[in-house]
Amino acid sequence: MNASHAVLELTGVTAVHGEGKRARTVLSPTSLAVMPGESVAVVGRSGAGKSTLADIALGLRHPASGTVLVQGTEWCTASRRPRPDRRHLVQGVPQDPAAAFVPRRTLRRSIEQAVRRLTGEANPAERIRRAAELASLDPALLDRRPGELSGGQAQRAALARALAVKPVLLVADEPSSALDAATAAAVSASLLSLVQDTGIALLLVTHDPAFAARCTRTVTLTAPADASGLAA
Amino acid sequence: MLRSSGLGLLSRVVSGLALLFVAGALPWLSQRDPAASILRARYAELEPTPEALDAIRAQLGLEGGPLPTALRWWAGVFRGDLGNSWVSGGPIGPGVWAALGVSATLTVFAVVVALMVASALVVPAARRVLRGAPQRGSGPVGVALTALPEFLLASALLVVVAVQLRWLPPYGWSGLHTAVLPSLALGIPAGGLLGRLVADAVAGVADERWVEVWRLAGARPSVILAGVLRRAAATVVDQLGLVFIGLLGGAVAVEQVFAIPGLGRYLLGAANAQDLPALQAGVLLMALAAVVLGLLTGVARRALLGGPLAAGTLPAPPEPRGDDRAARWTAGTALAALLLLLAVGLPRDPYSIVHPRLAPPSGDLPFGADASGRDLLARVAHGTLGTLLPSLGIVLLGIVTALLLAALGELSRGPAEIANATPPILAGVIIAALLGPSVGGAALAVLWVTWPPLTTHAAALLDEARAMPHIRWLPLAGVPPLEIWFRHVLPATLPPLLRHGMLRLPGVALALAALGFLGLGAQPPLPEWGLLLSEGIDYVERAPWTTLAPATALVLTSVLAVALAGLRPRQRARRQVGPGTKRSAPAGSAHQATQPS
Repeated sequence: MNASHAVLELTGVTAVHGEGKRARTVLSPTSLAVMPGESVAVVGRSGAGKSTLADIALGLRHPASGTVLVQGTEWCTASRRPRPDRRHLVQGVPQDPAAAFVPRRTLRRSIEQAVRRLTGEANPAERIRRAAELASLDPALLDRRPGELSGGQAQRAALARALAVKPVLLVADEPSSALDAATAAAVSASLLSLVQDTGIALLLVTHDPAFAARCTRTVTLTAPADASGLAA
Repeated sequence: MLRSSGLGLLSRVVSGLALLFVAGALPWLSQRDPAASILRARYAELEPTPEALDAIRAQLGLEGGPLPTALRWWAGVFRGDLGNSWVSGGPIGPGVWAALGVSATLTVFAVVVALMVASALVVPAARRVLRGAPQRGSGPVGVALTALPEFLLASALLVVVAVQLRWLPPYGWSGLHTAVLPSLALGIPAGGLLGRLVADAVAGVADERWVEVWRLAGARPSVILAGVLRRAAATVVDQLGLVFIGLLGGAVAVEQVFAIPGLGRYLLGAANAQDLPALQAGVLLMALAAVVLGLLTGVARRALLGGPLAAGTLPAPPEPRGDDRAARWTAGTALAALLLLLAVGLPRDPYSIVHPRLAPPSGDLPFGADASGRDLLARVAHGTLGTLLPSLGIVLLGIVTALLLAALGELSRGPAEIANATPPILAGVIIAALLGPSVGGAALAVLWVTWPPLTTHAAALLDEARAMPHIRWLPLAGVPPLEIWFRHVLPATLPPLLRHGMLRLPGVALALAALGFLGLGAQPPLPEWGLLLSEGIDYVERAPWTTLAPATALVLTSVLAVALAGLRPRQRARRQVGPGTKRSAPAGSAHQATQPS
């Protein structure tokens, strides 16, 4: 791994929503790079394409054009999704933390499955324990189902799930928007200290100016012209 | 992304061409070599040598393969030559044009009846708008009027008005008095459906916010009513096509019951005689009628909406409020009565001829005996199985087809539109002509009209499942696409699709029974409701119970079908999307677009 490479590098990336006549641009051409150990906040008004950008970085959605590189190698294109053996490189914390888990399974089962599939690790128990510790998650909660957690606990669990596969980049889409002020502050503090302690880079989508101010850098997205009616 | 709308267009063009090809190649596709049988019939002394058979084939226009057959037929059509009948050998044109004239006249009468019935149903909802009173859903009258399928209503009118009361002639086409019953039988279900659609749309529109704003602004009630009606009509106009397709299909059954020499009866005769050139001509004219009606609907839509709108631009009005209790009770009662019929009748023997012919109902024979002396209660109860089991198979096959096609996406658009525009009876006529009448053929015909609504629903459910947050995030856990599909998306899709399918079961059973009634489905001595009804109707003067028994079962099923269709689907999927996420569909700006200008 070459340290001079950006962890994530987007060049002229756009995204389109819908098909045919109803297609509209949801992300105007965007370029940005996230270096190792850096935390980059993405801000902008509703409809600017922040969540779309997060999804593209996570490999959950195809860009319409532009190049997306992770550690200097192609990540996903308009027609190709990320290669299975590189999936672990970018992990995320969703806006709705329960989304990181299959509802009918315990957290432990979901995390074990992710670790086995993404890293080939046969005995993931130790990794999961360490990830829970890093995410300040009470290990007793691992045997619950996502519906049985509070918002803050679910957020930590989602973070633990992401950390268990040792990513180089964490993508967090409004991680604190569904939480009360105190819990949100705790979550943002733990995310930022994680970046400092582990060297994992962070791409943070947020509406919270205070949270964004504590990141290394802030990138502001502007809404594409034909989406302005939607944002109004 | 342009790719996918291109696929939709491609799918339509290919399906359209396929349809034209199939219509032209029908005689070849039937695969029962008409040459051999005609040779035997016409020239008994000739040996069926290959040369003789080839000569007959050339005479029938069957030489070459399916494509030359189709091309020759279409070339003939464009010269105004519809070919010659295989049965009589005479030209088809004059007969089929006369039949079309009769059918067109009957349709006009039926539309008049339908409009009267529909207006009567809309009046209560319109009066509530005028008075500013809260709206209710369409009442039991509307349900009752739509409940009976045309073949059943026609039989009932024939039995009660023509045979028992002797007020009007039971059959024929010789003047206005012979047109009354058929146009009632055709027009009442169509008018009931139309009236219910409009009344429900009016009730829904009256709850939209702009109506209240107009009222607060002091608009006169008549102005508000005009606005509500126009907005309601705009949402219903797309479904007008359905009503017309119902008319086309219903005409086959009604013309058969009242022995009217129209296009429907012509088609049925052609199918039974396997006179494929005649069938082709009839199908062609019916398709032309459908196209003309479609164009008229388009014109009406344009007049109401003032220009073409992309699909989905006009949001559907909210469902009218109203409680499900009446519908639940009706459905429950009908279901209980059917189960009772099954429980009492299944242990009895439906085949052995041990009772006096046409024995009247008694303690021993609660429903009486049929013309051969078989127990009617047993036959109707076994008919429940004979009708419902194939229906269940059709629904399950429909669900599988729907899932496969929904996964194909845009590619299934063309076939879906054609299938949506085919009345089940017409599909049944064509399949029976190709394969001979059988339960399987009838089931295939009903399946052909069952899959499109299921496919639409399946596509929506698949989209919904794929958008569920935890399923969207599965790739991050390294779950491969196929596994996401089979272990997460499919299990989230199947339960609501199965519920939808089960709600359609009684309707499917009725379509199957209609085909059985016309002799296109189950064959004697199988007990099947439609077949039982058509067997009974010949003896209706001497033994009315022979029609009463199967009609009771069919009416119960009809009531069940309509009551189930009235139940509101439970929005279970919506609750699983958390309120905090941004991904729920934006619904805010809907009201601006809904206001009629």
